[in-house]
Amino acid sequence: MPGMTSDSGDHSTSVVPISPNPQPTTYPLHHGLKPPIARLSISWARGNTLRVTVLRQPQPSAANGEEEAGGRVLEVKLSDNGDGEIDDAQWRRIAYGSVTPFALLQSRKNSTSTLSKISALDSTEWWQYIMEYSREINSLLGNPKPSPSLAIEDQKTVLKDVQKPTCFKAAWELMEIFYADQHSQAWIPERLLDWLADYDCLFSGTQPTVHSELVNFQKELVTRQAVEDHPKYWEAISSTLAIGWLEIGVKLLRLHGSYDFDQLGSRETENGLVEAVAVLISKMPRLRADLGADKLGECYKNKPDFVKAWEKWRAQITKLDCSAFWLQCEHHQTRDGLKNILQTMLGNSTSLSNATFHWMELYIAHFLYIRPFTAVVLAECSKSFGSWMMAHAAELLTAGNIQAEMLLQKEQFQLGGICIEELNRLVYAQVLSSHALTWQIAPIYLSSCMKQGMGLLETVLSKQALQHDQVLLKSIEICRLYELGTVSSNLMKITAVHDWKHGKKGSGVFWLQQARDEVRLNRIAKHLFDFVGKSLSDDSFKQWEGLIELLGPESGIAGGLEFLNKYREFRRSLQQVHSGTATDAAQRAAEALISLMKNPSTPQRFWLPILHDSLKLFNWAGRPLLNVSQTNVLLNKLQELSMARLRPDFVNADLPPEALNSVRLAIATNLGRAILEE
Amino acid sequence: MEETLLTLDQDTTCTAWNYSGQRLAAGSINGTLAIYDSKDPASSSFTCTSRFKVQETSILKIVWVPPEFGDAVACICSDGSYSLWEEVVEDADILQWKLCKRFDRNSSRVLDIQFGVFATCLKLVAAYSDGQVKIFDLLDPLDLINWQLQAEFQNVIESTSKFGRPSCLSAAMCWNPQRGELQQSSFVLGFNSDIPQLNSSKVWEFDQDHQRWLPVAELALPEDKGDQVFAVEWAPNIGRPYEVIAVATCKGISMWHVGSNHDPNGRLSVERVALLSGHNGEVWQMEWDISGMTLATTGSDGVVKLWQSNLNGVWHEQALFEPTS
Repeated sequence: MPGMTSDSGDHSTSVVPISPNPQPTTYPLHHGLKPPIARLSISWARGNTLRVTVLRQPQPSAANGEEEAGGRVLEVKLSDNGDGEIDDAQWRRIAYGSVTPFALLQSRKNSTSTLSKISALDSTEWWQYIMEYSREINSLLGNPKPSPSLAIEDQKTVLKDVQKPTCFKAAWELMEIFYADQHSQAWIPERLLDWLADYDCLFSGTQPTVHSELVNFQKELVTRQAVEDHPKYWEAISSTLAIGWLEIGVKLLRLHGSYDFDQLGSRETENGLVEAVAVLISKMPRLRADLGADKLGECYKNKPDFVKAWEKWRAQITKLDCSAFWLQCEHHQTRDGLKNILQTMLGNSTSLSNATFHWMELYIAHFLYIRPFTAVVLAECSKSFGSWMMAHAAELLTAGNIQAEMLLQKEQFQLGGICIEELNRLVYAQVLSSHALTWQIAPIYLSSCMKQGMGLLETVLSKQALQHDQVLLKSIEICRLYELGTVSSNLMKITAVHDWKHGKKGSGVFWLQQARDEVRLNRIAKHLFDFVGKSLSDDSFKQWEGLIELLGPESGIAGGLEFLNKYREFRRSLQQVHSGTATDAAQRAAEALISLMKNPSTPQRFWLPILHDSLKLFNWAGRPLLNVSQTNVLLNKLQELSMARLRPDFVNADLPPEALNSVRLAIATNLGRAILEE
Repeated sequence: MEETLLTLDQDTTCTAWNYSGQRLAAGSINGTLAIYDSKDPASSSFTCTSRFKVQETSILKIVWVPPEFGDAVACICSDGSYSLWEEVVEDADILQWKLCKRFDRNSSRVLDIQFGVFATCLKLVAAYSDGQVKIFDLLDPLDLINWQLQAEFQNVIESTSKFGRPSCLSAAMCWNPQRGELQQSSFVLGFNSDIPQLNSSKVWEFDQDHQRWLPVAELALPEDKGDQVFAVEWAPNIGRPYEVIAVATCKGISMWHVGSNHDPNGRLSVERVALLSGHNGEVWQMEWDISGMTLATTGSDGVVKLWQSNLNGVWHEQALFEPTS
């Protein structure tokens, strides 16, 4: 998946660099062969699965007595289920469950006309759609509920058996709070507190958090003097500010040594700076109706006022940052520490990164200090959660956020004109295609990509293993749904040729007809001509008959088929004659023969073979089967044939040389007998 | 992270997967070909369904025939010949691999062959050790027996160039993977030889009006034109307005953008957008993924590398796979 790095300096809309030049990640490939390895070869399989063949130097197998493996074929799935938090079955459940909400949202988007789109995006109805989408997806992200019987039996359980939440769910809810839930904009801190209460347990025991670091630092506070000399002090302040614990931050600042009565005189400038920062912090604008009594910050009830105040506040911070007083501050830890705090308040992403310990804290920090920051959220999502999150969270991020929409829908020339939103969906679709059980839902995401979605869908379909009926039928169905006629036709051709060559000729013809492959059907029809005039075993004849029937009247060589059908009739009736002596059967055969010979579509090169096959009819013991006029027709044909044989381009039929004479004699005899009868 | 699909015998020289990744052909040093199949798409267990003798000499490379023309492979052998084998079920329901056509070695060895599906017919392009390139047409869509030589030329821009008898070590070629019905198929071809004019990778297109193949682009900077080419690979294009082709030479792996519109001379515009370090030696193989956005390569340094472009179009090494016991 293309990484998100950028060189552009415009921070408000650019993609923020995560790491300047990412080092390639190295993965080991365990093959279990005895070294040395002579050759590697690679092949991409479904989706983004990579297959590597590892080969040792080949040796003739007779050389060694022991059976040493000469090579291994390995399969590597370059998938991205976050950090393995979710197992395969659960991931599939989420993938399948996400399809309907996603498709519904897309179809609602498409049905809104372009003109009214901007106003529609702000409408209440639209926000309802977004929340509906968000809740549907959210409901997929929890762990499966524990079975009720366990709770009843275990009487020692006091606490409610709460299912352990996943990071995916936590991240999703956070984004819902900040982006999609219009009504919660006013009371985000409260929502955040609730959220932290729900997901606090995700932190427990596994990694340091701001909270745990503070607790540790607090122990040290008691024993330390001149806290400002210790880097941990400044780190603690930055951390608390980053996640919005302003009160604790200011309290820590006021522990600075410069406030001590005996220090005030000599450290005036230093104290002034510390106090200035503390004051700035306590005046941080907050977008909410009111604050608790001991909470810091200034409240603004509506967005325009808030934004004005926010900009003013930031300007004040910048002014302080550029002040000349810093040069007079002799205590360098204070200077560096305070400067870093100012950077945190200005939303410097590196500072925020350094001040937080876990992605969730980083998220909150971003939410509080950097607006807008869609790009960072996207980048973090891609790093931590993979392509599913990228594809689905985009909808939340762009809800009502024109800037985000522009960022995600801007055509990236360097990638051939595709936009980030589409790229995310393509990547996710590729991941879905990597698994035999989820490839069928990839088309829904691909069809929402205007530029390159259909192209990728065609490729995914043309690489399916078609010898499995289910896969074939499913692929054809998808082609029909998305109007991919050429691809469908191609899949059918592949199936047809496979069946034709593997002894299922009838099935082969069927699929060729479905595919409307005239070239191959004509080739088959011509192939059937080869059997005219040859003796066939019963089975071969049945197969030959069956094919003619299948080819039916729809084949392009209508004239030729008419002949083949008549010839088939004739051969069938001849067979019945050969098996018995009934005159009726023989009569029918004679009728068929005349019909065949009179038909203008019967190619001349087959006249002699057909007449040769009919010798028994001419020499019929009971009575002459052909009357005078019928016999004359045959004689005329023979005459034509004799004339034609004199031409240089005549092709002799594969018959013994005396065949023509035998036929002529037999027909003449028949004529004689017929005249006598009349 | 990795899963073992198959263990191969110690006489295995080369392997090739079919179009859907469900069948594997493995060639051996004594000229035997083994075919491995998987039972269903979801399973990753493979069994050997056929084993047959192709030739008395070692098999160097296997190329699968496009599936619209059957389940078939072409085997290039170390004696410089190549042959086509197809899986059929005759009467009596016996599955077997039959020889369809043997292209014997003439005065030169065949170096590489590739199949291209061209409108509704199948073409085979073959490169030889004397620098000749031959293109064969399949005459009958249901039989792999009859092939007709359609064109023969050398990989040079000026068809009237004269030079001594070339000696080529290897050739690299790739058809445009585009599958449009109306599209004229084209291919890119490069050589590793002692004649500089033959080496550089050129894009060849069929000119219907004059019924001949013409070079429409040369993928080399003026100062690099004589460099030996190890591998070329044409990226699948799922909607870009230009084509992407990767070329591996002794100087590394270059990414080229090729335009779609012909200039008055009939040439296509080309631009090299990246030169990547490659494998510190010879690049053995390059493969594009289905989206045409990730390139996997292997080389003589014995590792597999993945290359991608970031949002600014800058190509870089994304991941590295190192085989260990």
